[in-house]
Amino acid sequence: MKAFRAHPSIFASRQPEENRAELEVKNLSLNFGGVVALDNVDVSVHTGELLAIIGPNGAGKTSLLNCITGYYRPQKATMSFNGQNIFHMSTHHLTVLGIGRTFQNIELFPGISVLSNMLLARHIHTNYGVGLASVFSPSVKKEEIGHRQVLEELIDFLEMQAIRKQPVGSLPYGLRKRVELGRALALEPKLLVLDEPFAGMTLEEKEDMVRFLIELNEGWKQTMILVEHDMSVVMSISKRVMVLDFGKKITEGPPEEVQNHPQVIKAYLGDAVKI
Amino acid sequence: MTKIESLDEQTLSTLTQYTLPQMLAKQAQELGSKRTAIREKNFGIWQTYNWNDYLQYTKKVALGLASLGLKRGENIGIITNNRPEWLFTELGAQALGAVTLNLFTTAVAKELAFDLTRVQAAFVIAEDQEQVDKLLEVKEELSFVRKVIYIDPTGMRTYIDDPWLMSFQKLLELGKDFDKKSPHYFADELSKGKPDEVALMIMTSGTTGLPKLAMITHENFTEMARKWLETAPIGVGDNWISITPPAWIVDQMWGMGITLSGGMIMNFPETTETVVEDFRDIGPTVIITASWFWENLASKIRVKISDSSYIKRFLYKTCMKIGGAVVDRESEKKEVPLYFKFLYWIASRIMFRPLMDRTGCLQFRGAYTGGHPISPDVIRFFRANGINLKQCYGLTESGGIFQVQPDDEVKLETVGVPLPRTEVKLGEDQEVLVLTKSNFVGYYQDAEETAKSLRDGWLYTGDAGYIDDDGHLLIIGRKAEIMRTREGEAFSPDFIETRLKFSPYIKEAVIFGEGQPYITAFINLDFGNVGNWAEERKIPYTTYTDLSQQPEVEELIGGEIRQVNTQLPEPMQLVHFILLYKLLDADDEELTRTGKVRRKFVFEQYKDLIDAMYSDKKELEVKGQVKYRDGTVGTIETTVRIVKV
Repeated sequence: MKAFRAHPSIFASRQPEENRAELEVKNLSLNFGGVVALDNVDVSVHTGELLAIIGPNGAGKTSLLNCITGYYRPQKATMSFNGQNIFHMSTHHLTVLGIGRTFQNIELFPGISVLSNMLLARHIHTNYGVGLASVFSPSVKKEEIGHRQVLEELIDFLEMQAIRKQPVGSLPYGLRKRVELGRALALEPKLLVLDEPFAGMTLEEKEDMVRFLIELNEGWKQTMILVEHDMSVVMSISKRVMVLDFGKKITEGPPEEVQNHPQVIKAYLGDAVKI
Repeated sequence: MTKIESLDEQTLSTLTQYTLPQMLAKQAQELGSKRTAIREKNFGIWQTYNWNDYLQYTKKVALGLASLGLKRGENIGIITNNRPEWLFTELGAQALGAVTLNLFTTAVAKELAFDLTRVQAAFVIAEDQEQVDKLLEVKEELSFVRKVIYIDPTGMRTYIDDPWLMSFQKLLELGKDFDKKSPHYFADELSKGKPDEVALMIMTSGTTGLPKLAMITHENFTEMARKWLETAPIGVGDNWISITPPAWIVDQMWGMGITLSGGMIMNFPETTETVVEDFRDIGPTVIITASWFWENLASKIRVKISDSSYIKRFLYKTCMKIGGAVVDRESEKKEVPLYFKFLYWIASRIMFRPLMDRTGCLQFRGAYTGGHPISPDVIRFFRANGINLKQCYGLTESGGIFQVQPDDEVKLETVGVPLPRTEVKLGEDQEVLVLTKSNFVGYYQDAEETAKSLRDGWLYTGDAGYIDDDGHLLIIGRKAEIMRTREGEAFSPDFIETRLKFSPYIKEAVIFGEGQPYITAFINLDFGNVGNWAEERKIPYTTYTDLSQQPEVEELIGGEIRQVNTQLPEPMQLVHFILLYKLLDADDEELTRTGKVRRKFVFEQYKDLIDAMYSDKKELEVKGQVKYRDGTVGTIETTVRIVKV
């Protein structure tokens, strides 16, 4: 019965210490040849927080996320996650540590179903080996059922029941973004990194996504970093905003304060305009 | 196909002795945990409830409501989609002697407030956050509502402190606690119920004004169940899939009446978007639904076939020819030649059965269409496909459907003969009158209307019809809606509209011509089908409004109308039409919540457009309004062309 619907078990059963996500990045610099993408940037995220990173095109937002999630290797930085040094750690190690992400340009497998795409994310929680799996032993079966349950709860939360068996390639853009979020959540990340989850969405799709993210953050204490262009969305869901421009951090603080910061206005609108 | 486990004569004749909740208690005793009573798809799996579970949940809800202070004779409002909680709540409240009223989940806040105020609902059971938000919006007007109980807790985290709200889970806990304190309370209250007491109210569609509230007794439904269980090919354990809104008579009559009394299984789909898939999962044994369901399905099949490969199209065309020919001979009661039977057998193996399997219709023993006249072409289409689709007829006021075509005499245009213990005759102006124990007992707080429609037990249906030589009833249309042209030719707009709507490209049609020299129509396109059609022909369009004014689309619809005109007598043929720039919508009050056109309202709303169809004008500038569900109003400015057929 719907009346008995509770938080998905992966969130409900989490102990407070399992939620711990303390990211500390200091003096991060990234160059591509002579181009400085990021220049001495500091980022810190604390457990239960939703940090939004904004900035104009080419400010280095995605580069910063790529450094945090191990896709880029910065030349210089001190980076730690929950006290562990993660400088130059590879992506798959970071995933196991609990950093999950979504991509700006949707990186799903278009030919397979929504369920299969999400199931892929469960590999880090899989305990059986090839031997038992090839005979589909009872223990394997039990584990598989557990994985499916986790996914179904997420499907229910993200309202994707009608598309669970459809190939991702046949879905509209907004839904694919939702599937990507679902896959990232299936990793059970401690820190969820979202790269422009609202880009290219219709108003209704955006409203749905906002609803999901607020529920995730406030209801289930999921720690998140969010990169976003859409100012109105950022202002409505985030309590702390960081602004990047030309690879440098301009300011950081509560949304209202950031919005009125002269340098932020300058970065977004240029010099001559006064609001 | 599985064997029918019919109920015996003895059991059938005792059905009407029980109230609906008593019936549930009886079923729990007899069928208990051996049989499935309810299935609901959740988390991708069909979850089952046996008859004991059904009773236990109902009991908990009843006692929960009792501990909140619900008293005999009070009313409660239920705003849910199709889900087990709806049944538990409805039967639970009825067990305490309260009366339930289901409202549409699509209704806007103002409508909900109006209806809840009318019945002074003591409690409201709401589906989810969306419904709760609507109720909170009009909370000021709902001071008589003591508690709002929400079912789905998703997103309700921040509402928890509001003392006006309570979760369904909490209600069940209250019920459990109450049961510990007074273990005999439920049984006592249950036994106090009498079959002739009012059990629930159902909103009539309200095509001609405010919806009225028809009061239905327990006996109305148990009697209806008895009639159906006696005559229809259904029995214990058969599947019914609940897809029409619970605020409507069809699922009430089945959920509360027939599946409950007959020990059948109620199946609830996962979400409204998954209905097609869930329908196929279940493969229901019996279905009664509105004509639009069949019209949509037929047009979907046709469009898909026209998109398929040459061989498939050829096979389909050939098989349909064979099927059509057999159906025609059968309905004319002519002998079907042996070679035709053989051809039909082959066609059914290679085409009809696989096709019906794909749509989830293969398990049907009985398939019925009602609620609105249906085009004979649709009936012929499905019968050719091997589906025993029959027309039936009934009203909310008659407690559901009382008139069905018998198996061996299916005629395409009639609605058949009365069910057992039902008398039907024609009154003044050919009005259909019916006398049966399932007739409702009156409209809630509306003695005047009650007196108009109930006289000496006879229900005055307001539909005009006639009875043919075989005793079959034919419905012409709503008596009040029969129109006459200036020359005095009578015509039924329904009759023409139904034929127009068989075109896969026409979603809705509204006919005009009262006191006019000729007949005209508004046409609403089927956006999906016409959109595909336009795409295939590389006709660019942006919105519905834009598509509706494309010359090619006008030509397409013109062709469809000319086709229909050939089937109509001269005075009933269409002369002008307009492709309306927007879809008629219940939010704009142009349709009822059940999807019927509110003719009078449309007439007033679009008077300029209608007048233009009777003038020399070729086109007209219009400024229309669109109401969104959140209450905001948008405007559409466009030019509408008047098209000659």
